[in-house]
Amino acid sequence: MSIINKKGNKNQNLAMVIVGDRCIGCDACYAACKTDWDVLPVKEAYRTKVWDIEGEDNFGNPTIRFLPVLCNHCDNPPCVDVCPTGASFKRDEDGIVLVNSDMCIGCKACMVACPYDARYYDETKASVDKCTFCLPRLNNGLEPACVVTCVGESRNFGDLNDPDSNVAKMMKNATSITRLKEDKGTLPNVYYITINY
Amino acid sequence: MSRHNLTRRGFLKLAGATGVAASAGITGIPSPLKAAQSNDAKSEMFLHYDRGVQSPSFCEMCFWNCGLNVYTRNGRIHKLEGNPLNPNSNGHLCAKGNSGIDSTYDADRIQHPLIRVGKRGEGKFKKVSWEEASQYVFDKLSPLMKKYGPETLATFMHGTGEPYVHALTKALGSPNIVVPAYSQCLGSREMAWILTFGTGVSGHETYDMANTRHMILFGRNMAGALQVREAEDFAEGLARGAKLTYVDPRLSESCVNATDWLQINPGTDLALALGFIHVIIRDNLVNMDFVSKYCYGFDQLSAHVAQYTPDWASNKCGIDAKTIERIAWDFAKYAPHVVAVPPRRMTRYGNDTQTVRAIAILNALMGNWGVPGGLWVRSGVPIDLPEYEEPKQPTTRRADGAGKGEKYPLAPQNLGRTNGMIEATLTQKPYPIKAWMLYGTNPLFHSSAGTNDIYKAIENLDLLIAIDTQFSDTVMYADVVFPESTYLERDDAPFVQKDKIPFIALREAAIKPIYDTKGCFDICKGIAEKFKIAHWFEHSPTQQIADLYKALSPEQAKKLKDDGVLRFEAVDPYPLASGATPTFRTATGKVQLYVPNLTDFYQEHGDDFAPMPIYKDPIMADSKDTFRLLFGKSPRHTHARTQNNWLLLELQDDNPIWIHPKDAKRLGFSDGQMVYMVNPKTGVKAEHAEKIKVTKRIKEGAVFIHHGFGHTTKAWSRGYEKGIGDNFFVSDDIDPISGAAAFNNGFVTLVKA
Repeated sequence: MSIINKKGNKNQNLAMVIVGDRCIGCDACYAACKTDWDVLPVKEAYRTKVWDIEGEDNFGNPTIRFLPVLCNHCDNPPCVDVCPTGASFKRDEDGIVLVNSDMCIGCKACMVACPYDARYYDETKASVDKCTFCLPRLNNGLEPACVVTCVGESRNFGDLNDPDSNVAKMMKNATSITRLKEDKGTLPNVYYITINY
Repeated sequence: MSRHNLTRRGFLKLAGATGVAASAGITGIPSPLKAAQSNDAKSEMFLHYDRGVQSPSFCEMCFWNCGLNVYTRNGRIHKLEGNPLNPNSNGHLCAKGNSGIDSTYDADRIQHPLIRVGKRGEGKFKKVSWEEASQYVFDKLSPLMKKYGPETLATFMHGTGEPYVHALTKALGSPNIVVPAYSQCLGSREMAWILTFGTGVSGHETYDMANTRHMILFGRNMAGALQVREAEDFAEGLARGAKLTYVDPRLSESCVNATDWLQINPGTDLALALGFIHVIIRDNLVNMDFVSKYCYGFDQLSAHVAQYTPDWASNKCGIDAKTIERIAWDFAKYAPHVVAVPPRRMTRYGNDTQTVRAIAILNALMGNWGVPGGLWVRSGVPIDLPEYEEPKQPTTRRADGAGKGEKYPLAPQNLGRTNGMIEATLTQKPYPIKAWMLYGTNPLFHSSAGTNDIYKAIENLDLLIAIDTQFSDTVMYADVVFPESTYLERDDAPFVQKDKIPFIALREAAIKPIYDTKGCFDICKGIAEKFKIAHWFEHSPTQQIADLYKALSPEQAKKLKDDGVLRFEAVDPYPLASGATPTFRTATGKVQLYVPNLTDFYQEHGDDFAPMPIYKDPIMADSKDTFRLLFGKSPRHTHARTQNNWLLLELQDDNPIWIHPKDAKRLGFSDGQMVYMVNPKTGVKAEHAEKIKVTKRIKEGAVFIHHGFGHTTKAWSRGYEKGIGDNFFVSDDIDPISGAAAFNNGFVTLVKA
């Protein structure tokens, strides 16, 4: 699949592969994430959420779709580019985009730069914060909290550089692959696919 | 791709803390500042994760009881995760399950035993000891039982501690036990399934959605009225290409992948089901191999449904006749790997038992009993479990009209009718009901009979006892309150489930109670001691867990200890597919398309009790500006129990009134406008206004809100008066066969705020 970002110089190419039509909009991911990472107990602070998208079909009948969103851990991350201190950075070894709260000065330039609205400001830490792909869990052999809890098994996570990984196989078998706001040139690592089982 | 393969996602192979530094420049030109610290150094704070101590449990944010691993750090619960080995949830949790921590750490909880000091409902209590609280019950209840008989006590219960409240009520001598799950939810559905198949669907349903080829959901919102394994199976089946026909006046979450959404006229599901049956019989699409061997009354059914043509059905239910034919044909094409699913909360229009009868018949005609993709057959746990003697059900006449010789002779005595018990309390007939004991139930916010009537019913009580974890609206009216420990703070009896994969799950306290609370067993035992009936409370949940271990083989015991759950092989969930002869515990020993045991009632009471479903038009609104009130579940809340949970409130803290654009236009309402809901029958107006959601997702002539909002309990600092409640506006109609409620015959008007 040519759409997959080329990662010749990364050990790992970590990605979230979301089977769009398996999302039932239950928000389990939102709750699992917020509890695991003590995300501020306000609506505005979240690392992942699910958009309810109401629309109409060609016959004027109403439709409902669900779109899970999170940080895309872009290979061309505007948030990292605008960060004046280097607090926002992208890990070389696996592509995860992080914020080092010790270095963040709270200017929020990254929040403006992010086309995905994936960041929030945490007053208690005096730092911008965001999805880490659950790096602390990954580093201890656990999958991301949102993936573990996903009721519809819409969310899948792994290393696209490993042809034996579940996500690599899913991408190979996908019947369609899209990413959000491709036109921004961000090269996201969150993929939305359809697949025939 | 199967979620049943537990290693589906496999273990992650990660580079670990010290990743190999790659060449720079992926993200553009590094500035001098950016080079100040290495990625490794900056990542350091992200590499540690203390999972903490793991305890086995099962969830009680709703009553599906998903498998749970509770993780505790330094004595504080920090995370709940699904137990991958528990068949109820396969390692997943919904938003409610994930938010369960707040049930324990919520400072709004009941923190110690209480006795009322102010007026009823004022919410003024004094802190008392456990001894004082139990003594209070004895002092107040004894004279009432002496004066009116022990049956003057009615007990409403819902939760894991039910068996103890059950035992206490029976030992006190009252037959008036009420489990709202019957008359508020499953009653009509279970009744219809038992009359047809000889067994109920039960709380853990037997639809094989993961393997089905075509499912018809009659108002059963699998994705929204979320119970985890069902939602998993639903998503899995659709991902594998199953067709979904979703029948509902409202476009719900379950429509996300529907092949067809049939926006039916409210109250006419029976017409649609009869239309499907008509086409299937007319066009010779019946699985005659199954029907001739295992069904009773096919000829009567054929003659009976001849009148219910697609054109007739279309006229009633508003679905095009060609669509009815097309879906009936497609459904039959995939038989027997198809399933027609009745609603779970089947307390709607007063024709509910007969509607589910037709849905059951639709399944039977496909011959889907005991085959993959149809209806699987559950098995029990194949070991001898410890047994404990229980007090006998008193033979005194019940007050709620349930049971033989009563108005609702088929309604089970061990479940009772909430609506009937509230009516008996209101009228004090057939005899005085002077005391209520509530366990985990909130009749003010869960019941028909109209909330205003429940307030009046409560005025007739001389004693209201509440056992609960939180100050629900009804607990605020209690005279004495026993605070229960939450499901994360207590041991409970082993959870045994008959299923496709029968299993036993453990619940052990993850932490000690953080307030002065007790488990339901100890609460009931404390009350029983006062009445000198404590001998019924000799086996505590902790003891029951120990007894279970003794009944297991060493291998089984080790597995249960290690995994928190013990799974067993089913006898065979698909007996028909394996060539076995299925058995049915009905009066005829067959699947009853025609129910001969209803014929006596039929002669006595008429069409409502017909041995085959006879269609009757639903009750209609009397003006076009009076809207039928439909309500349903939100995937973000459980009943009326979770609206004070901070995390779930973040996900939903309002309850907009859905209305069709044409209705909104006629009334001059715009999206987001605030309105009051009014019950034209009682004149009751909602306490506060709610906003309008103008959407084609709801049928013209109806409005929709989610269930469970609008709480009046001021003890809920976050959930108080959030959104509006349905309980002031639902109807108090009754299904004549089951005696269960018919909530959706309620009508409302809307007034600009």
